This record gives sequence, C-alpha cells and structure tokens, in this order.
Amino acid sequence: MVDKEANFKDIFQKNSRKIYHLCYGYTGDEDSANDLMQETFMKVWQNLDKFRNQALISTWIYRIAVNTCLSYLRVEKRHPKDELTTSIIENKPEELSDKNDQVASLYKCISQLEENERILITMVLDEVPYPEIAQISGISDGNLRVKIHRIKQKLTELYNRNERF
Amino acid sequence: MKDFDALKSIWHDQVSVPKISHGDILKRVRKTKNGFANKLLLELAGMSLSIALIIFGWAYSPFKMWTTHAAMLIVIICFMYYMYTQVRDYRRIKDESLLMKKPEDYIAYLKKYKHDRYILNTRKYRIYTLFLSIGLILYFIEIAIMASLWITLSGLIFTTAWIAFCYFYVMKRYIQKEESKLEDMISNLERLQKQFGNQDTE
Repeated sequence: MVDKEANFKDIFQKNSRKIYHLCYGYTGDEDSANDLMQETFMKVWQNLDKFRNQALISTWIYRIAVNTCLSYLRVEKRHPKDELTTSIIENKPEELSDKNDQVASLYKCISQLEENERILITMVLDEVPYPEIAQISGISDGNLRVKIHRIKQKLTELYNRNERF
Repeated sequence: MKDFDALKSIWHDQVSVPKISHGDILKRVRKTKNGFANKLLLELAGMSLSIALIIFGWAYSPFKMWTTHAAMLIVIICFMYYMYTQVRDYRRIKDESLLMKKPEDYIAYLKKYKHDRYILNTRKYRIYTLFLSIGLILYFIEIAIMASLWITLSGLIFTTAWIAFCYFYVMKRYIQKEESKLEDMISNLERLQKQFGNQDTE
C-alpha cells in the first residue's frame, strides 16, 4: 500500500500539470478543470494495479482523462466561459502582466475550438509526441497530422484576430 | 501577428497549477470509496426485506383464491426484476476497462448506455407499473370478499390514487424530461463521435 501510494505520488507529480492543462483547455473553466483532473486521478488510483506497462503510463492516463472529459460534458453541459478567470495564473490581479493576459487569451481561443480540437491542441502545445497523441485519440497517424495542421492554423487565426480587438 | 511557435512559447510561460494535490485525491478516494455501492446495497436490502415480508405474509395468511397467489407472484417478480436491473447497470458502470478504450468507442458505449437507461426508465418502467397494478388489483379481489366494504374501498381508493398519481403525473413529467435530455445527449455524443472518427477528415 505504501509502495502504491509512493508510485501514485510520483505519477501525479509527473503528469498532473499536463492533465490539468488538457482539462482546462477542454472546459475553459478552472473549477471544472480541477474536478475533472481529480476524477481522472481517482480513476488512475483505482486502476493502477491493472496497468501493466502495455503502453506509456502517460498515454494510459491521457486516455482516461480524455474519456473522463467526454463523459463529464455529457452529464453536465458546461459552456466555456467567455471571459476566462485570471486565477489560472498564480499571480494576484494587480501583478498581472502582458504574459498572463496572453495565456488567458490563448485559453479563450482554445475554448472556441471544437471538443476534439481542444483535446488535440493542448497535447500538441504540451509537446506530447504525435504517435502518442494518435494512440490516445484513436485517430490514425495520417489523419492526425492533417487535423493538427488545420487546428494549428485555426488557433493562430483566432488568436491573432482576438489580439487585434 | 504571431505564428504557432509564438503561441507555444506563451503556453510554456504559463504558471497555472492544479489546486489539488495527490493527497487530496487519496483522501477523496477513501471518502467516496464504495459510496455508490453502499447506496445500491441499501436499496437491495430494502427490496429483499420487502420480498421476504411478502413471502412471509403469503405463507402464513390463509389466502384461498388463486388471484391472490398470482398477485403475490407478480409483485415478487416485479421486485426481483427491479433488483436485477439495478445490479446489471451497476456492473456496467463499474466496468472501468471501458475508460481505456479509444474515445470513439467510449462515446459509442456512452450512447448505448444512455439509450438503454432511457428505455429502462420509460418503457420498462411503464410495464413494471402495469404489472404491479395488476398484482394489486388481483390482491384486492380476495380482500373485497374477506374484509368489510369500508376497508376494501379505502384500500382500493388509496392504491388507485397513488398509482394514478405516479403514472399520470410523476411518470409523464419524468419521461418528458428524460426525452429532451436524451435527445440533447445523443446529438452531442454523435457530434463528438464524428469529430473523433477517422473518416471525416477532408
């Protein structure tokens, strides 16, 4: 049990930030992102014994997170907020810098994408290798590259349009 | 004008962190462990107790008419069917291997599960209520012969009113709500399935 807890702690520390980004990008809402991340890691803990290195553990966790995101919105449809809260950034409001505004703006643009686009692009931004993204999303390698190329263009356009106004 | 690499660098500059630690998760796991299972167990215990009481009453009451025996049997079967569906659905939800499936397959599973649940909560519930009502009507035939008119009438009126209220008011509203929820859910799931499908890439 102690070993399992130590293993879980290690897995959590290595993966929680990326999973949180995925959940935040998907919901566009800090509270929902925390809920989803918690739900994901609860499932990871409950199924840790079943994981037998059949894939990278990060792929396995991402798969659980993606499916948790998909079923979560089915239960309670939450629309991404138009204005993302600045609390995604640790700094206090008065210390908000341009950089922080840019991060908030980027999340806002991600929330305007389709659900699967949000999932794919957050993984691309977090530099998850393409073969791993293909495995997580179940999309074939060729199609994935085309999709990602399109999403990158779409996000860049959205961001630049957003920045102009 | 920024290109995608610029966006990537903005992304990596973020210092956003989850507000939850691994300790919080373990605490929550311990707290909610078997929460749903306990609720189900309580429900099953209640149902089992009801069945036991009915069997006890059936065995020790001097019922003479076949209608009463049929009523007892129908009610017991209804309760057992209810228990069976609850356990079956619980096992389906608990099957966490589904979580590791491809998103496209997982969405297909969600669609099927939601649809089956809808059928259970609407059409099958209607049949369940119908059989329960038939059971109660059959039971009251012998009661009408054995008991006083006043007892029979008040029992009949109360039972009929209760069934009518559940069926025509509660069920109707519930089914309407479930229908709109299901339509919404299925169309969302279909949209997601299409998004994850390989064939839709132009």
